[in-house]
Amino acid sequence: MALTTRRTEPVTILQRERSLRPDLFLVLPYLALAALGIVMVYTASAPRNELLGIDPGSTVRRHIVFVVVGFGVFIVSSLVGGRTLRGLSIPFYAGSVAALGLVLAIGRELKGAQRWIQIGPLQLQPSEFAKIAVILALAVLLANAGSALKWTHIAVAVVLVGAPAVLIFLQPDLGTMLVFAFVSVIMLFVGGTTLRQLAFIVLAAFVSAVALFQVGAIEQYQIQRVTSFLDGGADRENANYNHLQSQIAIGSGGFFGKGLFAEDATQTNLSFVPEQSSDFIFTAVGEQLGFVGGSIVLGLYAMIVWRLLVAAANGRDRFSQMVAVGIAALLVFHVFVNVGMTLRMIPVTGLPLPFLSAGGTFFIAMSLGLGLAHSVWMRRSPVPDE
Amino acid sequence: MNLGWRLGVLAVAFATLFAVLTLRLWSIQVTAATEYEEAAQNNLVKFVDTPAPRGQIRDINGMLLADNRNARVAVIEGALVSPAGQDQLVRNLAAFSGRTAAEIEEDVEEARRRGDRIVIVPELTAEQVVFLAEHPEDFVGVRIVETPVRVYVNGELAPDVLGYIGRPDADDLEKPGIKPTDVLGKAGVEREYDGVIRGKSGRIKYRINARGEILDQLGEQLPTPGSTVILTIDSPIQEVLNTSLAQGLTLARELHQPGGCIPREQDPGCPVRATGVVLDVTDGSVLAMSSVPAFDPNIFVDGVSEQEWARLNSQAVFNNFAIQGLYAPASAFKTVAYIAALEESIFPAGVTADNETYTCDGLLEFRFNDGSPQLYQDWLAAGHGPIDLHGGLQASCDLYFWEIALKIWNGRNSEFEQDLLQQWARKFGFDKTSGIDLPFERRGLIPDEDWFTTAQEETPQLVRDTPWAGGDVMNIVIGQGSVLATPLQLANAYAAMVNGGTVWQPRVVDRVETPDGTVLDNPPFAASRVELNERTGELLRFDLQQVVNGPSGTARTAFANFGENIELVGGKTGTGEVIKATAENPDEVDNAIFVGVAPINDPKYVVVVIIERGGSGGRIAAPTAARVLQFLLNGPEGVTDVGTGEEAD
Repeated sequence: MALTTRRTEPVTILQRERSLRPDLFLVLPYLALAALGIVMVYTASAPRNELLGIDPGSTVRRHIVFVVVGFGVFIVSSLVGGRTLRGLSIPFYAGSVAALGLVLAIGRELKGAQRWIQIGPLQLQPSEFAKIAVILALAVLLANAGSALKWTHIAVAVVLVGAPAVLIFLQPDLGTMLVFAFVSVIMLFVGGTTLRQLAFIVLAAFVSAVALFQVGAIEQYQIQRVTSFLDGGADRENANYNHLQSQIAIGSGGFFGKGLFAEDATQTNLSFVPEQSSDFIFTAVGEQLGFVGGSIVLGLYAMIVWRLLVAAANGRDRFSQMVAVGIAALLVFHVFVNVGMTLRMIPVTGLPLPFLSAGGTFFIAMSLGLGLAHSVWMRRSPVPDE
Repeated sequence: MNLGWRLGVLAVAFATLFAVLTLRLWSIQVTAATEYEEAAQNNLVKFVDTPAPRGQIRDINGMLLADNRNARVAVIEGALVSPAGQDQLVRNLAAFSGRTAAEIEEDVEEARRRGDRIVIVPELTAEQVVFLAEHPEDFVGVRIVETPVRVYVNGELAPDVLGYIGRPDADDLEKPGIKPTDVLGKAGVEREYDGVIRGKSGRIKYRINARGEILDQLGEQLPTPGSTVILTIDSPIQEVLNTSLAQGLTLARELHQPGGCIPREQDPGCPVRATGVVLDVTDGSVLAMSSVPAFDPNIFVDGVSEQEWARLNSQAVFNNFAIQGLYAPASAFKTVAYIAALEESIFPAGVTADNETYTCDGLLEFRFNDGSPQLYQDWLAAGHGPIDLHGGLQASCDLYFWEIALKIWNGRNSEFEQDLLQQWARKFGFDKTSGIDLPFERRGLIPDEDWFTTAQEETPQLVRDTPWAGGDVMNIVIGQGSVLATPLQLANAYAAMVNGGTVWQPRVVDRVETPDGTVLDNPPFAASRVELNERTGELLRFDLQQVVNGPSGTARTAFANFGENIELVGGKTGTGEVIKATAENPDEVDNAIFVGVAPINDPKYVVVVIIERGGSGGRIAAPTAARVLQFLLNGPEGVTDVGTGEEAD
């Protein structure tokens, strides 16, 4: 941590306001990804919509609305101060858990999973906001705990993460549960757990997963997704079909890709890849923009993650630091699992790709998270001299 | 607060994850790119086979017997069904076709598994075609195709020769190039010449999308139609044979029981079927071949009710009895011994020449070499009086021929080879398949001592346990005992006997014409030659003529109303015992047999008629064959209805 000269003059409110400069290395990649996402969603959804006989642009228009709203959320959340946020964290967490309970109560069936709450024309997915809520709650916990983490803190952390996780498990949504597990382990690690504590947590999580598996609480389709992945390319017509088609799409893109809207980008144009505009959006990038496009996208994510870690390092208090770390972990996990899935390294889990995938709640929730972490950087300590 | 090193570890870990993704991206998109490009290409291209129309089958005059018509059928293209839409498709198809969803599901699964087409609705109505065309989105993977469908013009004219078609069975599928969706010949010419009749299916290459919808056609290889097969069958003769057999069978049933009868277990004497062959003795061509009751091969295309199928099956109508039916040729077999007698000078003891008389008093008393006393009774209890070899054949005297057999048996260790008679029979093609170009031909049997001892070892329940004896040879000489022959074998043997000794390999196909006009001949083929003295042939023809025309001929009454040219007809009757008369069942059951030859001065045709359980050959088989011979010699105007002849062997 670089030492800076001690500020001698008192900081006025005005000066404070002026110092709130956006981190362009974070905002620009975010905007670039969002813009690319709009293009990709269009290329992936238009031919399919045409096939279904609906307006080709309908999916992308919906997506654009969410992107605009999401960007608004990003700006607003970037301006939320650390103290305010800390105060809001616990109510936000409680609200999220309540919403998850609501989903179970009134949520409607969708592809074997209850994930939505319908509010007027709006479909809300509380589990996306729950991810942010858990990060905030954990950050509060870790900030209160100080640097020496006791077992009691770990126990509280388990309860904090466990409450929404169980509700999500009941939906059931395995992917989101894994997000919680990954993010909380990362946050606990950075928050100062001893290696022994960390090992215990990981082991406990593993044992409980096996136990759940043994008592049959894990749904058949979830097991199937994993086993069909492990079987290799034997049965392309069942669960593995999605996987294989997505790998073919990316592989056939080659180094430079087939080009946007290219006639021969057939995996995308002819709708061979299922759910391409949402979970498999990266295949549209891979086929049309090739290795060049794919690696640029990965680079943009890497850049954002880098900026988030820098923000964490410069966070003005422990709470802010932990928020930035949590958001970074959330982003990394989503990118790695989603892209890894389309590259057939990881089973199909149904985690969308941040900022690129069509899917309104997720875009807004991720923008919210990114904005909060951005706010950490803008209010970093000490604020550099003008 | 040691945030520093922990964040550092995290940064390294995250960087590693990104590096892994990038490397994986590289390996898929750059290292293995061509492989995936191909996979993407193959996603889009599907091949669909189009069936070739089967070749036509025509008779020797060019008359159409088997052809194709175009039917509009709904097929499911397995290659074009999308897994996701399958359930909905099955429901739609079930509603559309009226078949059960389970059946449809099975078909769709099958089609998908094989990536091939399966017919869902065979013959669409015009309304159904319109409905399908208007709702393509509800029937993805279903296509309307014009498919050639076999149609047998004059279905019941010659079903035994034409055969029928069907789906390949497990054995067929092991042959190269046979797909489960193909249609194959299953019997008759359809089977024997399947390779040329089937043609070669074409292929259409389509570009499709992920939902299996056809985007465009990338190429088409047209099917090659099958070749036209021209039979040796002469339809007018075939037609007369059919009607004669039908009349003969009806009459035989009428004779068994006024008002007719239905063959069943409780009535073993009811005539079962009539089988006939007309053979050209000059080249072995089959001019007509059929058995009654017959079937219509169109039922294998259009389907038939279960009851009708059961009824036809119970009558075994799908077999070709002319080449698969095995019958004791009985007295019709006496010509073999007749020729052997002339050629080898074998006459009853005390007789030295063919025209020397022998007294046939109806009862033969003799002793075998071992001294056992024997008593054999002629079919005509009163006997035939003094007769020579010629009279013996004309009147079909059993005694004379038994004496010949006895002579051979008694001289088996010195004068004659023990199986001399069997050798002569085999020369004329008995005891082996004729090699006709039809499937499933059976070989029949001429028993000898070797066969008998083998049978005693292998199937002791079917033969007696005492050694082969003179009585066995005496059974053979009159075509009974274990002697078995197909109607075709009998016809072919007579053809050789009257044509100077040429044993033809009979044929039903004259030539094949490929779609490009090339003609592939199937020329007559002489399987073997029997060296015969000219006098033997002349005498045989004379005596056969006398069977029909002579005062003591066994077919004399049967031919009484023949009309013109009766002097050109020769023949031989036969009555093969099926069930012996017993105390509780006094009626003997016999197969009625007649072999006709015409014109006898320069033979062209051999006609064989066998009426299973029909009774005496002279009484029912000879008049049936007479009607065919009337047609052959005197044309359609010369044909009269089948009447009864005289009860004669």
